Amino acid sequence: MSADELALLQTVRLKGRVARAELTGPVDECVAAGSLVDAPMVRLTDAGRSTLAELLAAERATVDRDAADRVYDRFLLVNAAVKPLISQWQLTRDAAGPDEVTAVLDQLAELHRQVLPVIGEASGLVERLGSYADRLDAALRRARDGDMSWLTRPMVDSYHTVWFELHEELIGLAGRTRATEAESGSGG
Amino acid sequence: MTIGAGSRHAVLLDDGLDDAARRAVGGKGRAVSEMVALGLPVPPAFCVTSEWSDETPSELVDRLWQDVLGGLKLLEERTGRVFGAGPRPLLLSVRSSGVTSMPGMLETVLNVGVDDAVVTALGEEYSVAFAEDTRERFRRGYRRAVGADAPDGPLAQLRGAVDAVASSWSSARVDAYRAHRGIERGGIAILLQAMVFGNLDARSGTGVLFTRDPTTGASAPFGEWLPAAQGDDVVSGTSDCEPLSAMRTSLPDVYDELIAAGVRLELLGGDVQDVEFTVEAGKLWLLQSRVAQRSPHAALRLALAFRDEGLVDDAGVIDRVTPEQLATILAVRSAPAGPPLATGVAACPGIASGLVCTTSDDAIAAADEGRDVILVRPTTSPDDVAGIMAANGVVTEVGGASSHAAIVARELGIPAVVGCGVGLTASLAGQVITVDGDAGEVRLGESASTVSMLSPELSRFADIVRAAVPDAVGDLPALHLAARAARP
Repeated sequence: MSADELALLQTVRLKGRVARAELTGPVDECVAAGSLVDAPMVRLTDAGRSTLAELLAAERATVDRDAADRVYDRFLLVNAAVKPLISQWQLTRDAAGPDEVTAVLDQLAELHRQVLPVIGEASGLVERLGSYADRLDAALRRARDGDMSWLTRPMVDSYHTVWFELHEELIGLAGRTRATEAESGSGG
Repeated sequence: MTIGAGSRHAVLLDDGLDDAARRAVGGKGRAVSEMVALGLPVPPAFCVTSEWSDETPSELVDRLWQDVLGGLKLLEERTGRVFGAGPRPLLLSVRSSGVTSMPGMLETVLNVGVDDAVVTALGEEYSVAFAEDTRERFRRGYRRAVGADAPDGPLAQLRGAVDAVASSWSSARVDAYRAHRGIERGGIAILLQAMVFGNLDARSGTGVLFTRDPTTGASAPFGEWLPAAQGDDVVSGTSDCEPLSAMRTSLPDVYDELIAAGVRLELLGGDVQDVEFTVEAGKLWLLQSRVAQRSPHAALRLALAFRDEGLVDDAGVIDRVTPEQLATILAVRSAPAGPPLATGVAACPGIASGLVCTTSDDAIAAADEGRDVILVRPTTSPDDVAGIMAANGVVTEVGGASSHAAIVARELGIPAVVGCGVGLTASLAGQVITVDGDAGEVRLGESASTVSMLSPELSRFADIVRAAVPDAVGDLPALHLAARAARP
């Protein structure tokens, strides 16, 4: 139960507000426990935030700190290339022809190949993180199938949406906060 | 001219293509033949073309293969080189030449026709380093386009490259794109061209010329130059390009020739051109020319400049500014005067005003009440995306142009200034501020609309539009639509 509860609460937290119909897992139980707001658009209650913080702390306690640090540092290396690539694409896409589209997809595919082993290591520490590989795969595939909005569109599982969430997860896994990461230049 | 006895499938890209041939060879093929007709330096090239029936890509290439070999023979005669053999080997670039360009249909394979003997010959003709670099580029590019390791034999390489281009015309993503845009599959055109080498030496390179600035609309050449490199380096962004002025310094004569060619191509096309070129050992070669994409402001400026130069008439000006571009130009707001409260990185352009909210929940609640909201955060996490969506503008303390907040704001078209400095959030809470995403500034107070203050260029445009539809009434966008509808 607590693994499912953790996954559910973390999903809601990372997405802010989620249509109840789109959620899987112990939704009704979490609403009954007062962790989730009882509404069609679900979000965390203050109690839910505390519960989630406890569950995440318990999860982190099972993880080797050095290993988590190594995973996060490896992620940052790829992150430092992914975000500028996506930014550059946003700034140039209006004038982009097929060659530019291919170029950005090819570069992202290369970075995607680089991040997969990082996610593999992360899922060795915390199993649920393995799903990020599938979600990134799906976003990249949809972009490759011709709909480039799957690179950047917010509120759907676009490549950047999933990447942003993965970044947040790995910050947490390494026991850091986004504020400290931002000050060190890695969190923005 | 067409090649081979009884063949209707291979077209040498010379001057004087008839209408049917011009249609069949696609956009790239047409541009190449037009540049040849102008007497501009273009590497010899031909297209194999075909209608496309129910056959598989491989069956199609089987059918076209004799035409490929026939065209290749002609390129060998033109260049005095031999494909796949020394002492002067001919290498090819193989590209698709669609009528409409579309993502996914992009397979370009460069440096085709390189085996051990060719590497040796290239090494003796030029240099060993160049020969090895070219082979490595071929292997990398082939793997990327074809998805398999390159075969050893030059003819097998050519077959693999042509197969890849033909397959790309029928791939799932291209079919999806065609369906999305309502484009018919139509015929196929594959462009085969003698390679010229921007990676040959220090007096070589590759680049792109815009005959006028596509961002600002200034009537001055603009572009990028990458010394000692090939075209895919520019597109893939693996190297840092230099501005075209760097080429003017290092290769002044070639630069002048390029600019002069750009002027002629612009005259021929009647519009700003985006020209791909390569310089091989100090000699200019033009590879491609097409009408350049441009920003809304550039579209307006350029339309007026072309009219001043007598290249288009009033109807042309009205035609060249789309309703969408006009709306963007008109949607300008100005920030209030006074010293900025904060400055940072301009992450997404535009100007927005509203009440400062420092958490996403507050921003959503205020927006639900109908307030204009500016979300101000130390930094953003995924759960702030909902807050950004509710906001009219975004400000962060930490983060650069590639930060997550900048990416999300840009995607939503929300003016954003990021990296304004630690501690800003608390000092702004509860105030009404304006975010100037063009200047990278945050100011106290609300912005003012400047729609009534037309720029000189917009005034001229308005005069032209009014003169075209003297009896119509309405604001400028309405008159513009009426004028476009009234075109002959």
